[in-house]
Amino acid sequence: MTVNGTRYDRDVEPRTLLVHFLREELGLTGTHVGCDTSYCGACTVIVDGRSVKSCTYLAVAADGADVRTVEGVAVDGTLHPVQEGFWERHGLQCGFCTPGMIMSSVALLEQNPAPGEGEIRHAIEGNLCRCTGYHNIVRAVEYAAAKMRGEEPPAPDWEVPS
Amino acid sequence: MNGVGRSVPRVDAVAKVTGAARYPADVAGPELLHAKVVFSGRPHARMVAMDVAPALAVPGVVDVVTAADVPVNEYGLTMFDQPVLVGVGATGRSAVPSDVSRWEGDQIAVVIAETPRAAAEGAAALRVDWEDLPIVADLEAALRDEVLVHDETATNVYVHDRIRKGDIAAGWAQADVVVEGTYRLPHQEHAFLQPEAAVSYLDTDGRVTVEIAGQWAHEDQAQIAHALDLPPEQVRVIYTAIGGAFGGREDMSLQIVMALATRKLAARGIDRPIRCVWSREESIVGHHKRHRGLVHAKLGATSDGTIVAVEADAYLDAGAYNYTTNKVLGNLHLTVSGPYEIPNARIDSYGVYTNAVPGGAFRGFGSPQGAFVAENQMNKLAEVLGMDPVELRMRNVIREGSIGPTQVPFPPGVSMPEVIEACAQAAADGTDEAAAFSPIASLPSVGARIRRGRGFACAFKNVGFSFGFPERCEATIELHGDEEIERVVLHHAGADVGQGAHTVFRQMAADAVGVDLDKVDTVYSDTATTGDSGSASASRLTFMAGNAILGAAEEADKRWRDGDRPAVGEFRYVPPPTDPYDPDTGRGAINFAYGYVAEAVDAAVDLDTGHIRVHRVVCAVDVGKAVNPKLVEGQVHGAVVQAHGYALTERLVVVDGRIVNPRLSGYLVPGALDIPDRIETVIVEHPDPRGPWGARGMAEMPFIPYAPAVVAAIHDATGIWFDEIPLTPDRVLAALRA
Repeated sequence: MTVNGTRYDRDVEPRTLLVHFLREELGLTGTHVGCDTSYCGACTVIVDGRSVKSCTYLAVAADGADVRTVEGVAVDGTLHPVQEGFWERHGLQCGFCTPGMIMSSVALLEQNPAPGEGEIRHAIEGNLCRCTGYHNIVRAVEYAAAKMRGEEPPAPDWEVPS
Repeated sequence: MNGVGRSVPRVDAVAKVTGAARYPADVAGPELLHAKVVFSGRPHARMVAMDVAPALAVPGVVDVVTAADVPVNEYGLTMFDQPVLVGVGATGRSAVPSDVSRWEGDQIAVVIAETPRAAAEGAAALRVDWEDLPIVADLEAALRDEVLVHDETATNVYVHDRIRKGDIAAGWAQADVVVEGTYRLPHQEHAFLQPEAAVSYLDTDGRVTVEIAGQWAHEDQAQIAHALDLPPEQVRVIYTAIGGAFGGREDMSLQIVMALATRKLAARGIDRPIRCVWSREESIVGHHKRHRGLVHAKLGATSDGTIVAVEADAYLDAGAYNYTTNKVLGNLHLTVSGPYEIPNARIDSYGVYTNAVPGGAFRGFGSPQGAFVAENQMNKLAEVLGMDPVELRMRNVIREGSIGPTQVPFPPGVSMPEVIEACAQAAADGTDEAAAFSPIASLPSVGARIRRGRGFACAFKNVGFSFGFPERCEATIELHGDEEIERVVLHHAGADVGQGAHTVFRQMAADAVGVDLDKVDTVYSDTATTGDSGSASASRLTFMAGNAILGAAEEADKRWRDGDRPAVGEFRYVPPPTDPYDPDTGRGAINFAYGYVAEAVDAAVDLDTGHIRVHRVVCAVDVGKAVNPKLVEGQVHGAVVQAHGYALTERLVVVDGRIVNPRLSGYLVPGALDIPDRIETVIVEHPDPRGPWGARGMAEMPFIPYAPAVVAAIHDATGIWFDEIPLTPDRVLAALRA
């Protein structure tokens, strides 16, 4: 398979999960395991353009596929607009759900460049966050969407009290 | 130029958006070994025998750690009532019989192997004989005392706090109206996204080292040192990135057993790192919960709305071991009568052992349970009196100099009235509808089958350790340069569990020294290089660390002016001491600082499905000084949504001492579609006179009043009072149809 643009040829046991292949075999530990039951979404990666939960996806099912993980989102050290959005709009706290959130958001924006708030919430419905309460994550994705459309991101709705 | 008061981005943001941040499960090392912790799986049973030979025979298994390997086989944050490992035969000295499993999450062994799979197979091969004992399933069973969870106690009711204030009989004689209720409070699971994990090894100085995600590195170190019978300086604890905590990492999970594993292998001459990663199911079974409990309460007032008497009998299910129950109970005990000045009070609070999962620290630490009772009682009283609930609160609220239930004045800086008014005002501002929170159906229905309502609640909670615990926090600041300060290095142990502590520490250090933020470097959360900070809990870190940083900066400045290069300032901040409750009356100055919060909730109920949707939440919280306003807002959002789960969706099912739904597929944490449509944060800055820059703690506060505010909104919508949460659709529907 191709992971973040690099081709890897490996023999794996048929029962190897994609997340274990990425973490243990390739050392890409940015993809996290939070629940083992495809419920929390911390392990979300993009396989051939679709976001998938890599904890319930066999590595062999990605044979020949194009896989992207959070490590491959930034280009030449420049953050992807979605990463920038999470940074700019305080879309993260503990950060454990963040890679999965980012991958779901990247997949959304590649299919829908101008999602509304409801569409963003639907897109990240399968990604649990226990810290942020989601509102700033939605703002982070709105920021990224505007940036990717070449528009000025909406001003933060936050004013520092004088 | 400086840091305090600005919403600067988090120091860890880039690492966390690129996948570079390292959590414990991401730590590797040459020749890494893998460990599996074996749980007893028995809520109450005596171990008769354990045979490790079949486990050792599994290919790839390197060793098995048992109770026989624990020099001092006892553990506990506030009392030693728990064996580190349950076992038989020659176990270490212990304050508690260590051959009995008292809950299903009691640990009995650690299997160390070349691969995670071999470790799991070794764990499955362990042969253990048990003699099952009768299970004390819940509070009701425990209070009968027919079976004791701990043989060495005379009763399962092992802690009892009292408040006796004024003349309770005289109080009832004055009361024109009385409201009574029995409230049942559920367990809550922390469900931090990162399950427990740790890596242990000998560092280059030969210290037993554990890299883990915790809340108080030096307490972890002390607990490990106690069990291993080592001086603390021979134990090192390092915190990696921490994937959420909320109190759930305050107690030991893997700390002690991983240190034991490394020590056992070291004795055999094996110097290889060992890693253990819990599954979600192991995490939910293996750590404590927010306590479930039962409270009977009675509140009396004169017809003009002056509260004259309060009584309560409160019970917390401690589970099998104390963890921090005695302290959590103390907070419930204080808050169950609410932030009101009531002349006559009789409150009895009990901590009770059962064979269920232990209760312990979780955001709010007893105050959510207390506020649920106090605020529901207040809202019911408002209804009986025909008064606006905000007006009723303002008539009785504590103010500067008020005497609390413990018969001494509240610490200076009481802002409950301002916070209540700020919340009520903001809630009214955002709508063209009437601002009243009562009477029934104050908001118009949506069609015939969706009813809307509005609810209000407020709360207070201590900042910092209470009840006489020796509270302190250390910081070290180095000033480098020649003529002028070119670089500042802050050493601090305080844990960044996601709340942003490391960002605000840096902001405060920049301000304290008087340099730009980018001149401040930081060394964090390693017992080898930082002083004891106390825990990331009790909404205490900004308050405590800020004071320590101010002291260290002052000390460093003195040395700088004396010509020291680098100039190093070390400081230990110690706040005013606190008292334990007086055992007979509860009298005492139990806390040195408080935070205050109020919330207003608009919600809708679907009469056909019982489904509740929360449309709008207004949260006013006094933070004293917002060191980083955006991070304050993040705490409000996160706390409200976590409380939303507590109030509406999260139901842990514990039957006969076993958790039936230890997975996120059956324990429903709110997702992006479940949460309130809007959360509005109102930051109140009423300085705490003892706070750094006036700041007070706030991270727990927005959690506390949410559930009773939702209950009030649902009552407003339907006329039904719910005395038990979560308000899952089945429970709501059953009440609607009753």
